[in-house]
Amino acid sequence: MILIGENIHIISKVVSEAVRNRDAAAIQALATAQAQAGADYLDLNLGPARRDPEEVGSWLVNTVQEVTDLPISLDTMNPAAMEAGLALCKTRPILNSASGKAESKELMMPLAVKYNTQVIISVITDLGCPPDVDARVESIMETVAYANGLGISNEDIFVDPIILPVSADQKQVREALEFVRILADLLPGVRSVVGLSNVSNGTPAHLRGILNRTYMVMLEKYGLYSAIADVLDPELVGLNRGGIKDIRELIHGVMEGEQVETSGLPEKARDYVKTARVLMGDALYSHAWLES
Amino acid sequence: MQYKAPLETYTGRLKEVTIGSGRKAVRIGGQNILPLHYFEGAAANRCVVALEVDDNGAAGWAGHVAGPFRDVVNDPLKWAKRCMEMGADLVCLHLEGTDPQGSNKPAAEAAALVKEITGGLDAPLVVYGCGDDKKDIEVLTAVAEACKGDNLLIGPVVKENYEAIARAVAENGHCIIAQTPIDINLEKELNVKLLKQLPPEKIVIDPLSSALGYGMEYSFTIMERSRQVGVVYGDMAMQMPIIADLGRECWKINQARADAEQGMLWESITAISLLLAGADILVLRHPDNCRLLKEAIEGKL
Repeated sequence: MILIGENIHIISKVVSEAVRNRDAAAIQALATAQAQAGADYLDLNLGPARRDPEEVGSWLVNTVQEVTDLPISLDTMNPAAMEAGLALCKTRPILNSASGKAESKELMMPLAVKYNTQVIISVITDLGCPPDVDARVESIMETVAYANGLGISNEDIFVDPIILPVSADQKQVREALEFVRILADLLPGVRSVVGLSNVSNGTPAHLRGILNRTYMVMLEKYGLYSAIADVLDPELVGLNRGGIKDIRELIHGVMEGEQVETSGLPEKARDYVKTARVLMGDALYSHAWLES
Repeated sequence: MQYKAPLETYTGRLKEVTIGSGRKAVRIGGQNILPLHYFEGAAANRCVVALEVDDNGAAGWAGHVAGPFRDVVNDPLKWAKRCMEMGADLVCLHLEGTDPQGSNKPAAEAAALVKEITGGLDAPLVVYGCGDDKKDIEVLTAVAEACKGDNLLIGPVVKENYEAIARAVAENGHCIIAQTPIDINLEKELNVKLLKQLPPEKIVIDPLSSALGYGMEYSFTIMERSRQVGVVYGDMAMQMPIIADLGRECWKINQARADAEQGMLWESITAISLLLAGADILVLRHPDNCRLLKEAIEGKL
């Protein structure tokens, strides 16, 4: 699976301060660390970029490109910051992201055409995030058709089913999984991408990793092509490279409805089984899901 | 050919919790059916109704709800006995007077009062602290120690204070009320934590009961889902009975305070709704509603 490093994200205090102070060294340290950890792309998330969007967009892209050749996934809802950044990318970037919202169709998608980028298109519309698989299908068919009409081919589109936190709406975890499973039949040629860490948003920090890793393995089984993820988690990168084979098999067992016997397993393996059960919706989530 | 209605059977069964000891005891929970689905299987125990007593002279109670107890509100033991004469299955004592924002009675005084009531009352007792996390640790620990072996149902414990209170409850042979703010995930988390200190047969869930018009539908949904998760899906951490402490929520509403009939309707409609959702103990204030709810539970309405 292609990993897009998520760690240059405006929501992080280190990053927001570095961007505000134009502290290139801090940003470059994060870029280098992610490149060394095995990222295939770097996501640069600027958020709404209300102040000096053009300047911030160009500064960030240039700063990162000074230390790495990795392609960039530029992530902002501000079209001005997006355009300034895309114009400077040396390798073909990903525009992250467009959606079925009217504003996005009007202001973001044309930038993907103008700068010949790849583009992430999410299932969100002006009505919000669709509540189930069928509504996601309906939304994405419409939005991708619109993008095709602008001249964006399926091969340049990454579809994002929108991952919601298991702690907020457990049912949505399974809905997104099912959507990924049927996507290839639905829209031949498109690739899939998720904001993986969102599944563990709201979960205590020390427990987030295992949720992210387990969900990654589950999504991958259903054909996920890429994930914006915490590449600074070595266990996640290791799992993605195929390591820890028995853990993958245990998770797959839970997905196939097997009664996985946990009593003889090492604690770590048991934790992955418990996590897979919660993500599949077989057990009710609580922050203490590993303790019962 | 005779028609036979299809019946659902479930994998889970609620834990049976006994409150009180000896001939005073009542049992709740134990069923492997959904609320009031008596046709589906064994309702080991039906929902019970408690009437509320406080240690603060019914301060803040509207006259029309305190009325039946007017002459005994300053004597909680007599008040409790009156509740039983008026048809309650058990009594729920609220230690309102220990609230640091109010009378701030010391823990020892509260513990002595509870001991006096359990000694003189021929019925099981539920004891609620004032809801102040810190004060409740002192008060409920003292109550648990003073009434060792009486098997009270003591609470509420919340995520901020459960450890110390659960230890005292376990050591002195009582049951505990696990309270969470209308959130099924937090409810399960607290249950999981408490299960390290107490067996499930000693735990009762309080998901918080909101009154009609003040969020009752949220309480309803959480109780309904708790029951489904425990009985239908067999989640062991969600198989404890539920207490709905709703009387006080209903009677503090302005419309209920202003008018007796409105108050009676407010309390009875909320109670019947939460009964349908899955409550195993209903805590009410008015004895007429106690009688009404007992009829509803027996299917006589």
